[in-house]
Amino acid sequence: MSTITEAVLTKLDKVVLTYVEDGYFERENEAHSWFLEIWGDEKKFQLIGFSEYLDNFIVDAIEHWNSGKVEVLSSGPFLEQSASNPELPLEAEAISIGTSLILTITNLGESYQQKLDLLQAARHNLLSNEQLEIEVSKRTATIRQREAEISGRLIYAAGFRDEETGSHINRIGLYSAAMGRALGWSQFAVEDICTAAPMHDLGKIGIPDNILKKPGKLTDEEFEVMKTHPKIGAEILGDSEIEMIQVASEIAASHHENWDGSGYPAGLKGETIPIAARIVAIVDVYDALVHARVYKPAMPEEEALEIMASLVGNKFDPELFQLFLDNIQEMRDIRTNILD
Amino acid sequence: MLQKKICLLGAFSVGKTSLIQRFVSSLFDDKYLTTVGVKIDKKIVTVDQQEIMLMIWDLAGEDDYNTLNKNHLRGAAGYILVIDGTRPKSLDVGLAVHDKVKEALGDVPVVVALNKADLIDEWILDADQLAKLEEKLPVLRTSAKTGDNVELLFSELAARLQ
Ligand SMILES: Nc1nc2c(ncn2[C@@H]2O[C@H](COP(=O)(O)OP(=O)(O)OP(=O)(O)O)[C@@H](O)[C@H]2O)c(=O)[nH]1
Ligand SMILES: [Fe+2]
Ligand SMILES: [Mg+2]
Repeated sequence: MSTITEAVLTKLDKVVLTYVEDGYFERENEAHSWFLEIWGDEKKFQLIGFSEYLDNFIVDAIEHWNSGKVEVLSSGPFLEQSASNPELPLEAEAISIGTSLILTITNLGESYQQKLDLLQAARHNLLSNEQLEIEVSKRTATIRQREAEISGRLIYAAGFRDEETGSHINRIGLYSAAMGRALGWSQFAVEDICTAAPMHDLGKIGIPDNILKKPGKLTDEEFEVMKTHPKIGAEILGDSEIEMIQVASEIAASHHENWDGSGYPAGLKGETIPIAARIVAIVDVYDALVHARVYKPAMPEEEALEIMASLVGNKFDPELFQLFLDNIQEMRDIRTNILD
Repeated sequence: MLQKKICLLGAFSVGKTSLIQRFVSSLFDDKYLTTVGVKIDKKIVTVDQQEIMLMIWDLAGEDDYNTLNKNHLRGAAGYILVIDGTRPKSLDVGLAVHDKVKEALGDVPVVVALNKADLIDEWILDADQLAKLEEKLPVLRTSAKTGDNVELLFSELAARLQ
């Protein structure tokens, strides 16, 4: 080896080894002290058995040499313990040149430290981003919780006048959320409808007792009054900046609209009815049919679905009803988890 | 003496190096010094009155800058999957790493370390996800800081090694 090559290898802190046979390698240049500390000063020596990491890399090196590939296979950095350094940063490379099978071992020295500093900074960065995300999601969760609490209190207030059971109201939110998920909505939108849907009948708070609590059938006039509850609900929920309340207002306003335009209060038709309201229209009827009420017994699900199927097209959005059927098992699970 | 290779795997900064340091040298450092490259430590454990030399591979964390090198797993008799209780993301990364390792090594024994148990008040892992994990794999709550369950973690894995 020329003195110049020798000097370059010294500068690079690199030791070049060629494979001889039977696990023996021959050192091609001057060994550096770190190398001697680990592998000794024999020119021809057994490489295996001194570095757990290198022993593993040799398997890859042999495969690489045998493959006849021309590129360099690098071991990636590893830390070795030597007599003078408990964390000596090394890297090995396998190359084949002609018939020579070459392994180099390099002391990464300063460049390792540089790489370390870079990665350290990068990972600190990743960590603080992660922390920020956690912080944001914690705050979002708090906001959600507050929204849910306000919605719960409004429903509670309405509950003083309306007989509707709390569990029915909760289920409406969960069925609606299941529909939202099935539609591929974002987590946010799913949470919105889950909190908003239970408020669909909030407007009943504005219906006089003699009508709201009348035991028998309503007269036509009384029914006209009853039919104002969507409007009242929409008015109470108003023109809010809060997304969830907006959804609640839409649902309250339009949950008695029918797909064919025969509903109330606006006689909206088809897709002009907000989708959240179309969803609530379906799940509200489902839940009411399959559960007992003071004035009626519970109906078997099969029968309920038959009745609902007959309402598709005039009352229900056909596609949404199909989606509801596709997810009927989930609806059943909600029913059995939240009992009256 | 019987030698067994085990690996510590998981997202970055979950405490892989700290767990090894606690186990091997009974030390802990609060400062975060990331691992670049691979470091191998050794420690003798006794299983059924038989001494085993554990060769412990501390593999750098998985993140945008580093992915798992499957060659590093060769010959591993088992591994410890480390998850940081204070970082939900480390659970996702841990599960992805687990799948990768299973693909490379087959069904070798694994013990999950839910680390930083001393910070349990700050834990924000999803309860459902945790329950699922605990159904599937042996899980220990560890702290490299206090040393809680660290010995147990390694001896549990050692006991499962073939
Ligand atoms: N409170 C607490 N901190 C811990 C614990 N374990 C590790 N840490 C801290 O968490 C940070 C990361 O620990 P490391 O052991 O470097 O994590 P690592 O998984 O080796 O990280 P990488 O090498 O970057 O992948 C350090 O600041 C440690 O001091 C623990 O049990 N409790
Ligand atoms: Fe209504
Ligand atoms: Mg580390």
